[in-house]
Amino acid sequence: MTGYLLRRVGQALVVLAGVSVLVFALVQLVPGDPIRLALGTRFDQETYDALLARSGLDQPLVQQYLSWAGRALTGDLGVSFRSGETVTSLIAERLPATLTLALASILVALVIAVPLGTVSALRPRSVVDRMATVVSQFGISVPDFWMAIVLILVFAGTLGWLPSGGYVPLSEDPAGWLQRLVLPAVVTGTVSGSVITRFVRSSVLEALGADHVRTAQAKGLRRREVFTWHVLRNALLPLVTVTGVQLAYLLSGVVVVEIVFAWPGLGQLALQSVQARDYPLLQGAILLFAVVFLVINLVVDLLYTAIDPRIRR
Amino acid sequence: MRSSKRALPLVAAGVLALGACGGGGEAVDTGAGGGGGGEGGTLVAAVAAQPDQFDPHVTTAYPSFQVLENVYDTLVVPNAEDLTMEASLAESWETSEDGLTWTFTLRDGVTFHDGSEFDSADVVYSYNRIIDEELSNSFRFANVAAVEAPDPQTVVIRLSQPTPNLLERIGAFKGMAILPENAAEDLDLTTEANGTGPFRLESSDASSTVLTAYADHWGGAPSVGGVEFRYITEPAAALTALQNGEVQWTDNVPPQQIEPLAGDDTVELQTTPSVDYWYMSMNYARPPFDDRDVRRAISFAIDREAVAEAAWFGAAQANQTAIPEDSFFHYDYAPFQRDPEQARQLLQQAGVQTPLTMGLMVTDEFPETVTAAQVIASQLGEVGIEVQIETLDFATWLDRQGQGDFDAFYLGWLGNLDPAAYYQEQHQTDGPNNYQGYSNPQVDQLLQAGSTETDQAARKQIYDQAAQLIVDDVSYLYLYNPDVVQAWAPGLSGYQIRADKAINFETVELP
Repeated sequence: MTGYLLRRVGQALVVLAGVSVLVFALVQLVPGDPIRLALGTRFDQETYDALLARSGLDQPLVQQYLSWAGRALTGDLGVSFRSGETVTSLIAERLPATLTLALASILVALVIAVPLGTVSALRPRSVVDRMATVVSQFGISVPDFWMAIVLILVFAGTLGWLPSGGYVPLSEDPAGWLQRLVLPAVVTGTVSGSVITRFVRSSVLEALGADHVRTAQAKGLRRREVFTWHVLRNALLPLVTVTGVQLAYLLSGVVVVEIVFAWPGLGQLALQSVQARDYPLLQGAILLFAVVFLVINLVVDLLYTAIDPRIRR
Repeated sequence: MRSSKRALPLVAAGVLALGACGGGGEAVDTGAGGGGGGEGGTLVAAVAAQPDQFDPHVTTAYPSFQVLENVYDTLVVPNAEDLTMEASLAESWETSEDGLTWTFTLRDGVTFHDGSEFDSADVVYSYNRIIDEELSNSFRFANVAAVEAPDPQTVVIRLSQPTPNLLERIGAFKGMAILPENAAEDLDLTTEANGTGPFRLESSDASSTVLTAYADHWGGAPSVGGVEFRYITEPAAALTALQNGEVQWTDNVPPQQIEPLAGDDTVELQTTPSVDYWYMSMNYARPPFDDRDVRRAISFAIDREAVAEAAWFGAAQANQTAIPEDSFFHYDYAPFQRDPEQARQLLQQAGVQTPLTMGLMVTDEFPETVTAAQVIASQLGEVGIEVQIETLDFATWLDRQGQGDFDAFYLGWLGNLDPAAYYQEQHQTDGPNNYQGYSNPQVDQLLQAGSTETDQAARKQIYDQAAQLIVDDVSYLYLYNPDVVQAWAPGLSGYQIRADKAINFETVELP
């Protein structure tokens, strides 16, 4: 087990090193001059040169990468061109909002997906199953900004039940926190939930047809016991993966939903950093997303070994 | 003075709660000095974007200036009504005979938010900081030879040549703010502020920026206890927030809602012509756009009213010169009425084979340019010019503009006050913003003369002549001046919508 863990962590670190080179190179390929953008339209050449020298962008690329990667190892991701604050503090400022929304969305997604997917699988081609298919097709294909604006107009505008957007920390105003969380979490949760519903349905169906389930049934176990111990437990495995992937996606920020609901998460920050050609911030944000995906994959793999001992090697 | 700022979100909530009951805010870094501020509660204003930072001398972002307008003061300031310059931190000023020395007498009894006294050393420090560190506004001091402080109440600015628009240069916006001496060493100016304005910067995070009233402001304490700028990017969401009472003010109004909202009594909507202008420009280094007849043909082919209507849903005035109607320097000159026949003739005269393909560079940073370009494309199509619209993000757009890699582009100049700002850098040969590559010795000479002429009437005449040449040559193809559009809760009073889009909440009163 320890060997397996070490091997997986080692792999993750190698991937991360590769990703850091890619991130740096890709950001450089983005067209558009950050210095010009920072200065706005009205400026002269001396001002331009002064800022160029100050930002270190006049150095050779390799040297820029080495100093960036070196500092990143110590947790220093540099200073944002745009705001002059450190990248780590800017990211840390966004993390609570992102975590809140991601976890709430996954909760909404699972609440939708697990019962719906299971019921669909238990009664294939029934009315419930067909409705579930339609609903999840709708959830996957409807644009999230459209759903978001409709929800704002209905629940914040016409009905006036909920605020139209924004974010307050839980510690400050629990009621306000919950009120502001509902609409964005429903939008992102519906999208993720629609994806997960299909996985749940197919994995439960597959588990239902497995040999050991038939054996269990033949042994005369009660239906409920068969379902809980032999079907659900096996169906859980792919669910862990797809939920992990969805969570990683949500943690790297859901840009459109965050913008419509004025939700100050990482998606917004990443978009702003692209628009402003804020290299240090952009590199920091992408590197963070890479870490999120790597860590979640690692956790998923470890969970697998806990659920299914056969995988432990 | 330097304080930890990671605890700001919590402080913000405390301030909001306290502000609402009229008590004193617990300041982050200056002790409990904010007590006794305005009587009212907090005004919540929905703005489109987060300020990038709060150093007025460094930032160039409008979202930052929306906030800084209320925090810092300048020596002089545009009058809210007609944008002529009037006293602010400087009470009065005089100009020497030769126009080379300006002497400012400073206001007495002004204090910064930390309680320290304001005097001439602060002005010298602030201006020298901009000049010496070559910060983003250093071009505004191009003519300044020295800034001196003979005594605490007096500032002398020595110039290398007469500069009639000096007041505009130092007062047009808060980029020329007066900071306390050594502010850059004592504070982290990107996140902290210490100004002389009506509000102090209390806190700022990823969802809002909070200001509290500064009771000891030289102009009197503001009427509200504070202002919260909440960032709502999506215009439909901002409008909904205004309509259901979450916010009391916004400048983020969907253009297509301007007309319907005029008859809606749940929202007060106001518009005023802005000092901005939008234009198209063609590359003089790329034939056939170096040919005056071709540019004039294109100018004749465009229906400016239709472009303005498409871009702004009617909230814009078509214009063929840069300066809008309400300005003293407006020049009523409009030689181009849509005339496709004449356009075709001019193209023929220039020996241009149609269809002629023309790239038109626009940016999604300003969505109206994308819409307007579609109208322009269809109008030019009628005279045999095939427009290829290139929609770029702003960084790429700026980059290609700087490298001269375009046939034509479409953009606006925002926040201009003085005629020099409207014309000089854009149309003078080798002007820093003359990306189209225009060069007309007569225009150069006029713009040079205009920049040093001190008599207002004579100055207007000079700029009228320059404008006429610029329009006739189609250095810029001027299209329209858009309106400033803002909306607020019915009953909100004491607020003045301004042509320069400065947002000042000093005298605002909640409903």
